[in-house]
Amino acid sequence: MKIAAAPGATDRTFAPTHPAAVEVRDLVYRYGERRALDGLSLAVPSGAIFGLLGPNGSGKSTLLSILIGRRAAESGEVAVLGEPLSNHQRARIGIVFQEPSLDPQMTVSETMDLQARMFGLRRDAGSAQTHALLERVDLAERADALTATLSGGMKRRLELARALLNSPELLLLDEPTLALDPDSRLRLWEHLLEANAEGRTLLLATNDVAEAERYCQTVALLDEGRLVAQGRPEDLKRDLRHESVRIEWAEDPADEAVMMEGWPGVGHVRLAGHTTHVTVDAASPFLARLFQQTGDRVRGVRIEATTLEDVYFQLVGRGIASPGGAEGGAS
Amino acid sequence: MSQATAIVALMKRDLRAFLRSRSQLYSSVLFPLMLLAILGTGVSDGLDPKHIRDYVTFLTPGMIAMTAVFSSTFSSASYYQDRDSGVLKVLLASPHSPRVVLLGKTLSAVIIGAVQALLVLAVAAAIPAIHFQWQYGVGWSLLAAVFAIVVLNLFLSGLGQLLASKIRTMQGFHLVMNLVLFPFLFFSGAFFPLTDLPVWLKVLGRLNPLSYGVDMMHLALYANGGGGYFGLPMDLGVLTALAVAVFYFGTSRSVSPDR
Repeated sequence: MKIAAAPGATDRTFAPTHPAAVEVRDLVYRYGERRALDGLSLAVPSGAIFGLLGPNGSGKSTLLSILIGRRAAESGEVAVLGEPLSNHQRARIGIVFQEPSLDPQMTVSETMDLQARMFGLRRDAGSAQTHALLERVDLAERADALTATLSGGMKRRLELARALLNSPELLLLDEPTLALDPDSRLRLWEHLLEANAEGRTLLLATNDVAEAERYCQTVALLDEGRLVAQGRPEDLKRDLRHESVRIEWAEDPADEAVMMEGWPGVGHVRLAGHTTHVTVDAASPFLARLFQQTGDRVRGVRIEATTLEDVYFQLVGRGIASPGGAEGGAS
Repeated sequence: MSQATAIVALMKRDLRAFLRSRSQLYSSVLFPLMLLAILGTGVSDGLDPKHIRDYVTFLTPGMIAMTAVFSSTFSSASYYQDRDSGVLKVLLASPHSPRVVLLGKTLSAVIIGAVQALLVLAVAAAIPAIHFQWQYGVGWSLLAAVFAIVVLNLFLSGLGQLLASKIRTMQGFHLVMNLVLFPFLFFSGAFFPLTDLPVWLKVLGRLNPLSYGVDMMHLALYANGGGGYFGLPMDLGVLTALAVAVFYFGTSRSVSPDR
């Protein structure tokens, strides 16, 4: 069977031709008895940076693996770039997986060359693309190095360059900055923003709230395979109408946390060691009562901007960092 | 983008990895030759088998078959390396079916196994103590031996893929392959002729796909007249049919992203 070459295989920019880069409706997928996707419906606008935000087990990676054809949904509809999934469609998609996916015995250029051949790029076009992309992600000088010798940040940049080799219209990113140091994260995001500026849609699966807030134009909050909320981060937070207070305690605050949960105007109380995060309707009356009742047990207080973590907590009743039952492998 | 391009690219990748692994390259050829020298000489001089003329030469086709067995097994295990390194899911995310990916990998295993077995054959042919008979003439005998080697590797690589679809870990794969392949090897006529064995072992020998490959190589290299244990037409027919079927089913298996 012949597969048509990816449109724009050597183009660097293109205009989106479909209003939705990804559209899924009533998607169901199970790992044994557990429903990893439980009737999920959402649409990812073309050209957007779209975040799937949720804890492990919320269905993010499962959705991505369905979009590249690695898993078949039990029921529901999937359209990618305006068409049902097919081998032809996969030529228009790039993906950076959550776990490392490089052969340690291959060099950087061999890794790119294999990808070019798998996507049917002609040798000269593949070489030119490889050279341009390695330059772009600052790996041109390491072209002959074995991937095993690269740092974590370099490996991620190589995986990104490989994912961009077929000039994909849709780039799937499964927690791409996981385990990277802050500098490497920043550099990777510079490249991702550049890819988005070229017109590519970025669909990002993450449980990093700060990253989603900073980079995503639209965020879908997922819980146990269901869509909980979707919108621009600032809109989701505005709807919450809460303030977030971070309290540092001198000793274990378990009793105080229980006590505060009963106060009027207090939303959600989260414990993290000697720190408590509390969402409240209004910070001033809450703080007055806090100091009155807990006295010198409080070591410090900070009023923080509301985050998507607070939104998620309000909607789901637990944080994004807490597991949502990830049995079955993919999250 | 053609499937052939992808298959060739995958084959080249595995062949390059094999060539880079010098220890694998050398040991896979040296081990059968060492065994040939030690076992062949030991049995010839120590046990002095009465029924086998020129035991070292008799053993050579068996060692060639053994090379194919272990090489194909080892190469098939690269599936697990690709799965564990995450490369497999990248390949499966390409616009090709899993069958194309498996074909590329399995064909490289066939090539690696066949080349190693042919190397052993070439070195053995140059050793003065080994006296190949070439009973069909050098050209036809060599062709028969090469055919047996290639088809044997097709069968073994396909078998490796079939087992890999059922076994989750590489350790388990090697364990099961050894469990399957050592009896295959012992009752194939590689180390001793099937002729004088008890009936139940003869039956096992007949059910053993490797027996037909070894018999064909014995006919090509060792026999000096005579039709072999099964005979050339039977060797050709059974080996080819089995190899094609096992290779087809091995490369058509489903590939789960989770195992």
